[in-house]
Parts: sequence; structure tokens; C-alpha cells
Amino acid sequence: MSSATMDPAVRAPVRARGRGRIRYHRLLFHVTAVLVALLFLAPIFWVVAASFRTPAESGQPPLPPWPTQGFSIDSYLRLEKFGQSILHYSGNSLFVAVGTAALTIVVSTLAGYGFSRFRFPLKGLVFLLILATIMVPFQSILTPLFLLLAKLGLQNTLIGLVLIYTTLQLPFSVFMMRNAFDAVPREIEEAARIDGVKGVRMLVQVMGPLVLPGVVTVGLFAFLNAWNEFLAALVLLTDQSKFTLPVLMTAVRSGRFGSIDWGAVQAGVTVMMIPCLILFLILQRSYIRGLTAGAVK
Amino acid sequence: MTRIDHVAGERKTSGVSLQGVNKWFGAVQVLGDIDLDIQSGEFVVFVGPSGCGKSTLLRLIAGLEEVTEGEIRIGGRDVTDADPSDRGIAMVFQTYALYPHMSVAQNMGFGLKVAGRSKQEVTGKVAAAADVLRLTDYLDRRPGQLSGGQRQRVAIGRAIVRDPDVFLFDEPLSNLDAELRVEMRIEISRLHQSLGNTMIYVTHDQTEAMTLADKIVVLRSGRIEQVGSPAELYDDPDNLFVAGFIGSPKMNFLPAEVRGGAIRVAGHPVPDPGLRSRPAEGTKLLLGIRPEHLRLAKPGEPALTVTAQFAEFLGGTTYLYGAVAEGVDCVMEVDRSVDTRQGAVLNVTAMADDIRCFGENGLRLR
Ligand SMILES: Nc1ncnc2c1ncn2[C@@H]1O[C@H](COP(=O)(O)OP(=O)(O)OP(=O)(O)O)[C@@H](O)[C@H]1O
Ligand SMILES: [Mg+2]
Repeated sequence: MSSATMDPAVRAPVRARGRGRIRYHRLLFHVTAVLVALLFLAPIFWVVAASFRTPAESGQPPLPPWPTQGFSIDSYLRLEKFGQSILHYSGNSLFVAVGTAALTIVVSTLAGYGFSRFRFPLKGLVFLLILATIMVPFQSILTPLFLLLAKLGLQNTLIGLVLIYTTLQLPFSVFMMRNAFDAVPREIEEAARIDGVKGVRMLVQVMGPLVLPGVVTVGLFAFLNAWNEFLAALVLLTDQSKFTLPVLMTAVRSGRFGSIDWGAVQAGVTVMMIPCLILFLILQRSYIRGLTAGAVK
Repeated sequence: MTRIDHVAGERKTSGVSLQGVNKWFGAVQVLGDIDLDIQSGEFVVFVGPSGCGKSTLLRLIAGLEEVTEGEIRIGGRDVTDADPSDRGIAMVFQTYALYPHMSVAQNMGFGLKVAGRSKQEVTGKVAAAADVLRLTDYLDRRPGQLSGGQRQRVAIGRAIVRDPDVFLFDEPLSNLDAELRVEMRIEISRLHQSLGNTMIYVTHDQTEAMTLADKIVVLRSGRIEQVGSPAELYDDPDNLFVAGFIGSPKMNFLPAEVRGGAIRVAGHPVPDPGLRSRPAEGTKLLLGIRPEHLRLAKPGEPALTVTAQFAEFLGGTTYLYGAVAEGVDCVMEVDRSVDTRQGAVLNVTAMADDIRCFGENGLRLR
């Protein structure tokens, strides 16, 4: 009886203190996480909110960013009216981004497989050279690239842009895919050889599924970079109907009377974000696995 | 057993023969002048210390490495340059090497699928193999959802389904815990009995070798030291290396010298092992005597004196660790009634027939 009454009294403060410490840590963790998340979300919120301001308000100083004179989708309508439809430009961007992602995946998978599993002369040097090109800022080679494309008759074409983006994307992607293939145990490939698997079938049916996280990562990076790239597209595309979304944004900007149509720009940026967000959310699991592949056994 | 017969189909088992096989990795010779004949249906075990080239030899037979020089025949057919899938072999890897993205059934049936067999045939063979290996309940699982022992059984199942002439195993049990290892060892042995295929098995564990093999091939630094049945290698080793490698605890090696017409260890004469050519006076030898062959001497019998250091009581047997002379250790199997306290001095001898003599070059004197 006496012990029954005493027990909780004795133990309670101890337990409370223990739980308190844990709570304190968790609180700190969550507060920090929320702050960081807010920091990253703030500009996105800003853009989305601002895109819904009325035309009159859209030219005003941007504080506060959200609509104060009523909610309006006029910015989107103005964006739609500019040049050809926004769908047309989205189509251009999509073509370039998907084309870049696809080409990058194909080339970097083949190259990564080669570097990982085949022996050939100067392999180390060649790989180093490919990696070294990361160190060259691509702006500095834009002119030669432009001349090269002109020679090929590909200036002012979306295909030319795809080729350029793929080139820029490859060093990182080849590196990534080589690591992905290196992480696949040799025995699995040997078991497949004994099972009679050869050539392309080995790559597609046996190795492919095992390097899928790497493929997703490489593809996602290529897609996002091509989707968002601005400078090369601006330099290489002269025909307005070929513009990708980022270039379109600059064109919208200098809209009527040469003034900047901020509302349409905000609306355009909002539209641009949507495919990226969707892709990222769908693929994030594989993507995170790809980046950390081999880090933990 | 009928299920197993079904798996095996009509078998034309075949032997393996290697002639003058050499393997170089760049400038390093890993295997030298390997000549080996493996009879059809034999269970052959390659043993040797780490890095001696066991796996390389197996991989040469599998076709996963190219021979630098020499010839490999399987079932009389020259397969030196044949593709691994055309050699009639199946291999079980130490790391299992299952396809992680396929189910157990797909793993086992993949080879047949690649070979373009009908779905019906694949399903039938997989089901039969799964039945033999007690995997029927796991056919839809991924390898990641299986235990180590189950994964190894899937790997063996994948080999069985291929219906090979020759099974190759590269240390298949070394990733399993001790108990499971014994269990799987028995299972593999049973599989060999019922399938009757030629099996080649690599291990560095001499117990595994002794228990499984019809024939053991002892390798050291890329060369074959001796080939023979477990009993032959145990009783009649050709050299010091084989004598020391086979048997546990190890054979005792006692330095001896021929003096006064007798072979003496630390001055004490030992029973004459009856060598065909008597070594000359003053020749130095090594005597190899297995722990179970050392026994207490009867009073008056010529004997070595062993000073006890410590003993291991294992239930059925007791191993006494002692020294014959300064710096010459020996192990002997003793009765549990023997006084094994530290410092106890025992008079010890052996039968003349149980003493093996080795020259200073390590070769056996007969
Ligand atoms: N691809 C390779 N390139 C160069 N040397 C190699 C290669 N593979 C194996 N070797 C060398 O060949 C020798 C034999 O290797 P192997 O794998 O056959 O040994 P092992 O007997 O199977 O050893 P373990 O019991 O440790 O598995 C080793 O010295 C190893 O360093
Ligand atoms: Mg090995």
C-alpha cells in the first residue's frame, strides 16, 4: 500500500525530466527545419502570390507580395496572349527538356557501363578529361558551340539546343552512371553470363534495373537543367516561335510600350515551376537513392 | 526422389579435364601447369590457403576468365574458347549473386527464359527445383526478403534448373553461420548423390573438403600439390604442405636427425618408419605424426618425453598441448584420465606405421 502510493511520487520527476530533454531536442529540430523550409519556400510563395495581383497592382512596388486589391488571373491571360500560346512555348521547353533527358540517359548509361566494365587503352585519362570539362564554365565556350552548330546547320533549332544541353550535362552524368555500375557486384553480371545473357540484353534486363536510381537521377538533372536553362537558349534561338519558357519570360518582360510586365512574368514563372515540382515529387524516392547509392551498404 | 529425377532429366554427365593450363594476370602468374582429370559424376574439392588460385581455376572452367595457355575439356569437348553459357556448367557464387530485382521464381527460371524455352517448361522446372530445395513457399519473394540460407538455396536452385553437366561452387557456404553451414553441406552432399552430376567445389575449409569430396585437389601458390581421395591425402601426404593442411588439429612436425643408425627426436630414438632407402648418418628430417597417433608409452618402451602445457577437453576427446623439447610443440589426443596438469611429464611414442618422414626440402621420404 505504502509503496503503491510512493512509487509514482518518486518516479514522476525523473520521468518528466527525461521526457523534457527529449522534447526540447525535438522542438529545436523542428523549429530549425521549419525555418529552413520557410527560407526556401518564401520566394516560391512570393512568385505565386504576386501572379494573382490585378494588372493595376502588378506594376506596384512588391510589398506586400500578395494581392491587396482583389484576386485576379489577368496576368495569366496576358501571358497567354503574348506571341503564340503559352502551350506552344511549353511544348518547345518540353521538347528540349525531354530530348536532353533522353539523350543524356542513353549516352551516359552506355558510357558509364563502358567505363565501369570494359578495359581499353587510356581509360583513366579519358575519364579524367571528361570530368575535367566540368571545370570549364560553359559560358566561355558558348561562342565556339554556336559556330559549331552553325556549321552543322543547327543554329536556331531546338535539336541544336538539345545537343548543347546534352553535352553540358554529360560529364556529371557519365560520372554518376559509372558509379552506379561500379556499385553492381560483378558476380551478378557473371551469373547472367552463365545464364546466357549477352550484349544489349545484359544492359537492359540485368544491369538496367539495378542502376535505375542512377538513371532517374541523371534524367531528372538533365530535365531540370534543360528546362530552366536561359543563357544558351537566349544566344542560340533567334526565332520567337522557337523560344523556350525562360527566353519567353524576357520577351514578355519588354511587352507593351517597352515596359516590364511583372504580372505576366510572375505568372510565367509559376507555370514553369509546375512540371518540375510534379516530376520531382514523383521521382524523389529513386532520386535520393541514386545520389546516396554506395554510400551505405 | 522422383521429383529429383524429373529435374535431372536424362543425364549425360561428363568429366572435366585440364591440360597444361596456365593463367597470367598481366605479368603475374596465378596458375601454373595445371593438369587435372575429373571423372564424370565425381565430387571434387579444390582446397588451399587464401590467394592460391582456387577461384581463378574454377572461373577458368566456368569460362569467366580466359586461359592464357592450355586446354579445357568438358565431356570430351574442347571448351577452351567457348562461352560460359555453352559449356554445360552452372555456378553458385559465394555472394549468391541473385538478381535483386527478380522474384525467386524469375531468378531460377531466367536462364531458361533467355534460352527461349516455353513458359510451361520454365514454370515446371522451377517448381520441381523449388520442391527439392523446399523453396515452394518463397517463389514470389525477392532475394532481399530471404534469409542467407534461403538465398543460397535459391542460388543452388538456379543452378539445378539449368540442368548442367557440371556444377561449380565457389565457397558457397562461407557467408552462412556455423550451424547452417553444416546443414547446407549435408544438403549439397545429398544433392550430389541424387543428381549424380560432376561437382567442383572450392573451399579453404579443410573440414568441408574432407566431408564432401570424392577427390581433393590441394593447391598452393597456383600449383597443384597433390590430388587424391580424402583418405589418401590424410594417410599418405606427398609433402609437408599437404600433411599440414589436411587434418585438424594439425599433424605434429618433429625435427629429427639420423644418428647411431636410428632416427632420433631430441636425442630419443623413435620406432623405425621403415624407409625404402635409409637416410645417411647425420641427415636432418621432419617426422610427421598425427595427434591421434601419439600414445603413452608402456614402461621400458623407447619414448619421447612430452611436458604438458595445457589441455582442451572436448567431451569425447581431450587434446593435450605440450613440448617435446625446447621450442618443439606437439599436440596429442589423450584419454581423459591422463594427468594433463601443466608441467606433467609424459612418455610418448607412436606406431612405426603412423610416422611420416619428410626431407628438409619438404618432400615426403618413403
Ligand atoms: N583480376 C585479377 N587481376 C589480377 N590478379 C588477380 C585477379 N584475380 C585474382 N588475382 C590474383 O590471383 C591470385 C589467386 O586469386 P584467387 O581469387 O583465385 O584466390 P583464391 O584461392 O580463390 O583465394 P580465396 O580463398 O581468398 O578466395 C591472388 O593472388 C589474386 O591476387
Ligand atoms: Mg576465392
